[in-house]
Amino acid sequence: MNTVDEILDYAIDQEQQAADFYEDVAQRAETAGMKKILLDFSEEEKRHKKILQTVKTGEHELTPEQEILDLKISDYLVEVEVSDNISYQDALIVAMKRERAAYELYSDMAAKIPESHLKEVLTGLAKEEAKHKLFFEAEYDEHVLTDN
Amino acid sequence: MSLKDLLSPFFVWQRAFEKPYTTIRPTLDRPGAPAYRGFHINIAETCVGCGSCHEICQNQAIDMVAVDEFVGRDGDSGLRPRFDYGRCCWCGLCVDICTAASLRMSNEYSWIADNPNEFHFTAGVDETPWQDNELGYRRAEGYHLYPPKRIEMELLPAEESVKSFDEVTLGYDIEQAKKEADRCVECGICVATCPAHMDVPDYIHSIRDGDYEKGLKLMYRTNPFPGTCGRICTRKCESVCPVGILGEPVAIRWLKRFIVDQVDKKDYKRILDEQIENSDFKVAIIGAGPGGLSAAYYLRQQGHAVTVFEEHESGGGMLRYGVPSYRLPDAELDKDIDHIISIGVDVKYNTRIGKDIQFETLLEDYDAVFMSTGLSVPSSMRIHGEDHARVLSGLQVLADVASGRDPGIGKKVAVIGGGNVAMDAARVSRRFGADVTILYRRRISEMPADEEEIHESQEEGCTLIQKAIPVEILDADSPEQVAIKWGEAEMVDDPKGGRPRPVLREDRMHTETYDCIISAIGQSSNLDYLSKELQEQMAVEWGKFTPVEYQHTTLDKVFVGGDFANRTADAISAIEDGHHAARGINRFLNPDLYINAEQQHDI
Repeated sequence: MNTVDEILDYAIDQEQQAADFYEDVAQRAETAGMKKILLDFSEEEKRHKKILQTVKTGEHELTPEQEILDLKISDYLVEVEVSDNISYQDALIVAMKRERAAYELYSDMAAKIPESHLKEVLTGLAKEEAKHKLFFEAEYDEHVLTDN
Repeated sequence: MSLKDLLSPFFVWQRAFEKPYTTIRPTLDRPGAPAYRGFHINIAETCVGCGSCHEICQNQAIDMVAVDEFVGRDGDSGLRPRFDYGRCCWCGLCVDICTAASLRMSNEYSWIADNPNEFHFTAGVDETPWQDNELGYRRAEGYHLYPPKRIEMELLPAEESVKSFDEVTLGYDIEQAKKEADRCVECGICVATCPAHMDVPDYIHSIRDGDYEKGLKLMYRTNPFPGTCGRICTRKCESVCPVGILGEPVAIRWLKRFIVDQVDKKDYKRILDEQIENSDFKVAIIGAGPGGLSAAYYLRQQGHAVTVFEEHESGGGMLRYGVPSYRLPDAELDKDIDHIISIGVDVKYNTRIGKDIQFETLLEDYDAVFMSTGLSVPSSMRIHGEDHARVLSGLQVLADVASGRDPGIGKKVAVIGGGNVAMDAARVSRRFGADVTILYRRRISEMPADEEEIHESQEEGCTLIQKAIPVEILDADSPEQVAIKWGEAEMVDDPKGGRPRPVLREDRMHTETYDCIISAIGQSSNLDYLSKELQEQMAVEWGKFTPVEYQHTTLDKVFVGGDFANRTADAISAIEDGHHAARGINRFLNPDLYINAEQQHDI
């Protein structure tokens, strides 16, 4: 993966894989409520994919300079298993951890190459993933960490 | 006719050129004195429509009228005062009593209109030229027609209260209760806010009259747990009491308790005198908590045979096993429960649905089923090391203590959480002689626990650390101990709005060793007794139900209520759910009775 297009293709593919993953878990989910949430997650990933596709065609620009809030919630949580009767809390943990892994992957790649357009794209992708992570972490903060 | 008479009309004309003796209207340049009691001004936005002005007006010059834009606001009657200037005598009592200090008078006194109906207007809503007038009569600062401070509830001193499980609040005596009852302006805004819609103004009035039996009867109309709620209710009513706008809200909860304290348990039967005509229907209730027993009480009043299935050896649910006895003594809880059972409710203790009896059997054997099994499973923090043997759940600690078992907490305890269970676990630990530190991830002002509980836990010596995020549980040197690593949080504004979010500061980590860590961060339901298919049919999401009208589920015979079926998860909401479901079940069993709309309110 040396060109911007290759990187974007990879990222688009990753988003599609994530969407497929949630759809697959949704098929196995035991309750209608969980199915719906997982399908919502899948839709969210497809939305991410669309954004990246518009980046590739030049209709949309990444924002590598944007500061994204990091709630650091997923950093300290245990890995959870994706079971058929997965709870909402665990589904969010899976989602947060996946976004975090993607963020770290792009950040590490960006850190390893010299200043270039490619580096900017990688940083921009990392920021996109950070946004996705924030989306799930904010949901976790609001609906799981209710402290009551 | 004389010549003078003939000419006199012509002499009148000479007057036409003289200066007139009368003044030209309107009167010019005579403004009212700065504190003149002129036309009324109402700040309609801050007014809550309590109607105190209407009540105090000796001339009946004030009517309360509905104003669309305020109808339906929480803590607001939706009404605003409408003045009749054919009646007003400008005494200013309405300004003096106004609970929200929204009503005042301008120094304007001249108003000319062709249409007399204009002198009948809704201040602050109908446009008037004096609404923004700076001058005129205002109530003097600090002047109140009723005492702004509530009668303080006497508490056991903190150094005494931590030594035992004796009740901390000591109750009002008659004089105190009457004084506090006198502060109620009887607006009834609390009635709408109370989940059970208790008739607060009337039962408080019964205290003024010294008629406690009437007060008790009024309370039982919508709540068969008045003794319990008089002690531990989340008292949403007080949060909207208009007396609380300029002072402290009326102590509604303590007044409710006062009435119950005045009536001996043995007199309940005579006073409440429930007349029951047996029906042919049988209803099963799962869970003898506040929701289940409330449903049982009102269903039994409708004559139905009610059987309650309870897995524990006593009734009360979280009220018994989750609320420590220093807040709610067992005897007081039993006073409520015993009366419910006394009207012919059958409770099968030590019986767990799904184990001793299958849910499907209940569906077959009974005409309707009400489920209210609450939230009994402690939530997991999902941090590393959480399965350490010295990490206990708040619920388990409280249940152990309620059942007379030693919770085995040791002498140095950390409690994680900010809700009532966390506060209770902390205060119980203090009573076992432990040093207690509470770790809460947000700010104290955001803690979901009752403010009084937070205050009392600190009074009793618990150390409360706010903005502390647990990160990891670690082994300590001794297996009898456990360590926790936690980090300080910084509150950061959420770019998408909403309340600020705590963000861990990785450069400010702490590790501390304790004899145990009590986790009390939340609870979820245990629906093991329902098959996956049934849960699916009833659209259970995250262990919670979303009942439709009258607490009905999508299953024909099944109704639900309590913590797993509402958002507030408190006793008073469960009690209302039970009452509401009882109405729903009665309608379901007797659809013919409800053809006439007037009969819909007969429970």
